[in-house]
Amino acid sequence: MTADPIEGDDTMKRGPTRRDVLGHAARGAGLVAFGGAAFYLTSKADADGVWVIDPEKCINIRLGATGIEACEECATNCVLPMSAVRAVNDFAKCGRCCICPGYYEVTSDTGPDGLPTRKLCPRDAIERVPIGEVDPEDPLNNFYDYFIDESLCNGCGKCVLACKEPAGLSSLRLEVRYDLCTDCNRCSIAMVCPEDALVRIPADPA
Amino acid sequence: MVPGLLLALVVPAVTGESVLAQYVRETDVVPTDEDIGEGYKTPQVQRPLPRATWWDAVDAVVLAVSLGLSAWIVMRRRNRHALVALTITCLLYFGFYREGCVCPIGAIQNVSVAIADSTYSIPYVVIFFFFLPLIFALFFGRVFCGGVCPLGAIQDLVLLRPVQVPRRLDKGLGILKYIYLVLAVWWAVRPVADRDFIICRFDPFVGFFRLIGPGDILIFGAALLFLGIVVGRPYCRYLCPYGALLALVSRLSWRGVTITPDKELDCGLCTESCPYGAVDEMRAVRSSCLFCARCFDWCPRERVRQEGEAAGGNRLTEPRESA
Amino acid sequence: MMDGKDKERAGGLGSYRLVRTISGKGAGRGQFSEVLRAVAVDDAGSVYAVGDSHVKVFDGAGDLKHSWATERPGFCIAFDEGGAVYVGEPGQIEKFERSGKRISVWKDEERLSLVTAIGFSGEFVLVADARGRCLRRFDRQGQWINNIGKDNRTKGFLVPNGYLDFNIDAGGIIVVLNPGKHRIERYSLTGELLGFWGRFGTRRPEDFGGCCNPTNLALTREGHIVVTEKAGPRLKVYDAEGKLLALVGSEAFDANCKNMDVAADAKGCLYVVDTVRLTISVFAPETSGA
Repeated sequence: MTADPIEGDDTMKRGPTRRDVLGHAARGAGLVAFGGAAFYLTSKADADGVWVIDPEKCINIRLGATGIEACEECATNCVLPMSAVRAVNDFAKCGRCCICPGYYEVTSDTGPDGLPTRKLCPRDAIERVPIGEVDPEDPLNNFYDYFIDESLCNGCGKCVLACKEPAGLSSLRLEVRYDLCTDCNRCSIAMVCPEDALVRIPADPA
Repeated sequence: MVPGLLLALVVPAVTGESVLAQYVRETDVVPTDEDIGEGYKTPQVQRPLPRATWWDAVDAVVLAVSLGLSAWIVMRRRNRHALVALTITCLLYFGFYREGCVCPIGAIQNVSVAIADSTYSIPYVVIFFFFLPLIFALFFGRVFCGGVCPLGAIQDLVLLRPVQVPRRLDKGLGILKYIYLVLAVWWAVRPVADRDFIICRFDPFVGFFRLIGPGDILIFGAALLFLGIVVGRPYCRYLCPYGALLALVSRLSWRGVTITPDKELDCGLCTESCPYGAVDEMRAVRSSCLFCARCFDWCPRERVRQEGEAAGGNRLTEPRESA
Repeated sequence: MMDGKDKERAGGLGSYRLVRTISGKGAGRGQFSEVLRAVAVDDAGSVYAVGDSHVKVFDGAGDLKHSWATERPGFCIAFDEGGAVYVGEPGQIEKFERSGKRISVWKDEERLSLVTAIGFSGEFVLVADARGRCLRRFDRQGQWINNIGKDNRTKGFLVPNGYLDFNIDAGGIIVVLNPGKHRIERYSLTGELLGFWGRFGTRRPEDFGGCCNPTNLALTREGHIVVTEKAGPRLKVYDAEGKLLALVGSEAFDANCKNMDVAADAKGCLYVVDTVRLTISVFAPETSGA
């Protein structure tokens, strides 16, 4: 590439050549162009964003989608070996039901204790703990907390779908775990989400 | 706070107190802590916070300092060992710690979208990452490629048996990166539904940084690394769309790499030493010089200068940049 | 959820057919724009519907006769023996003449924190307080006497739906739902649990599915117990001992319905609120000859 500007071959002091002047002008123009473009973009920039799941859109969460199978795209499409999307139980909204449809496979056979015999979570990631003044004899006589073991949950959304209104109180949600999310420029879940429910919002951590 | 934002998404209408909202509020009758009794406390919802914004500032500072160091090491210290140390540091930070995001190569797409789509909000850090290496290129050339870029670093470290790619083949393949750049911008500025960030999708090395990725991309990356044992930095030279931008901008650069500190010997060792075919008639071609600092080790005059320097600062001559 | 099976099983049962729907979602005077919460039918066959913080009265044909606003959102409606109309609200009960003229308001933020059912027995008024998760017995002057269903380990009924419904049978026995236990329970006025029936299950139509069902209840003149369930929504009629007599499957209601209030008139017709379409579906029993 002989046309490229290459380093001058001697150290002789000389006045600015025509080529030097043109070079300075070109660099100045480049600097102005980059600076201008950066300034223009800064005027509409935001602090860095985060990926979130819009519960109004996610088919596993939003009301009005009934008779469907859970959408498991979040579990299978994240670039991480275990998806950064996990189920989260919002305890403040949880009814503490004895027969939680997110915990039990409610269509399985009913056992002698009156409870379903199978669990819904394919990875057994939900723990069911009786709380309050516990009656060890009658399971129906207790409140229960449901804890999600995040090391097992892969965000398949089955429990979330089962708990949503009107069947449940929608206390189980799918959320992007920011401590896990690699914050990909091109979120591979967003690329396949059938509801375009993965959206970027500005992050403003406390 | 993000939890607040999430809540806003969950219950958008309650503050409006429509009739519906009043009914919804009134039927919110989950058991209270008192109902449950025995001193029960409602557990906290597991909710980690996103990466703090000040970490973006850390990324930006690391980038700026690395660019400055890269330029200083190559143009003043003229020392490959120091550059390799910087390269490894940046590979660890931008590659393995930050897992390949944020990067100027991918930022091409964000910047394109931000210009084309007024609703798209681009993070400050992405703007910074896109423009700073370009501005450095205006002054010094491709300093980003040399010591900072983790994709370049991983290739540079596997380059063990460099061979020279025939000039014509090298030039022909070099056109690919401009085509890739055009395609990447074209895919990025399409309407939201069809938009795709192909640079990120086909990033050959990010899978190694994250230790996971789609199989075909990992195979592609491994193939590039194997090829990279003999062919210097094939991704940077032939595919990298940001490399295409830097190559264009570097043609305007103010200063570049000077291989010989003073009088050339016409020995041509530097041409042989450059695994990237970036030395032409004993001078570094700015658009393709990747700031690897290999040529200094080969230059007899540079060796004399450095030995003299080590012997007690009695230099043969000043390095040329300061002249 | 199990429409096909329900219908099949229901073949051996008595059946109901939809004869009419009343009201609907809209801005019209005879419609509800956002919420339809409760229904009651008086002896004359007028249908009283509560929603949108209004009471709307329809004749048997479904035409609006008159309507009036309530002070707070209404969650239930009942008539006393004298014909006065009671509307249960958060924190209070409003008492109206049939014309809609307010007679009085009975406030008690603690014991009437969310009134979702009202019943009368002799000299007593019984109120379901969904937030207190129990029934409360008052005398006619509004003096509190005792709670019913509160004195247990869970400190009340299990009503994650936010709706506690009951009725009083001809013998003065309280019939109340405990959705979290999938039961219908019977209590005396003093709060003694006299018995219960019902169990969780999704295989047999007489069982109650989901986390918490049934949600709403009415008694017919014959003493049959009419309940509604959610997810999938359905309407079932049992005898007093819990034998399933009839079932109307989910196809009759919007799938997202929840807490569908139900009422029975003197002829045995059932009035069921579709809480999404904001209609009242009227089902008539099919006579065996028809």
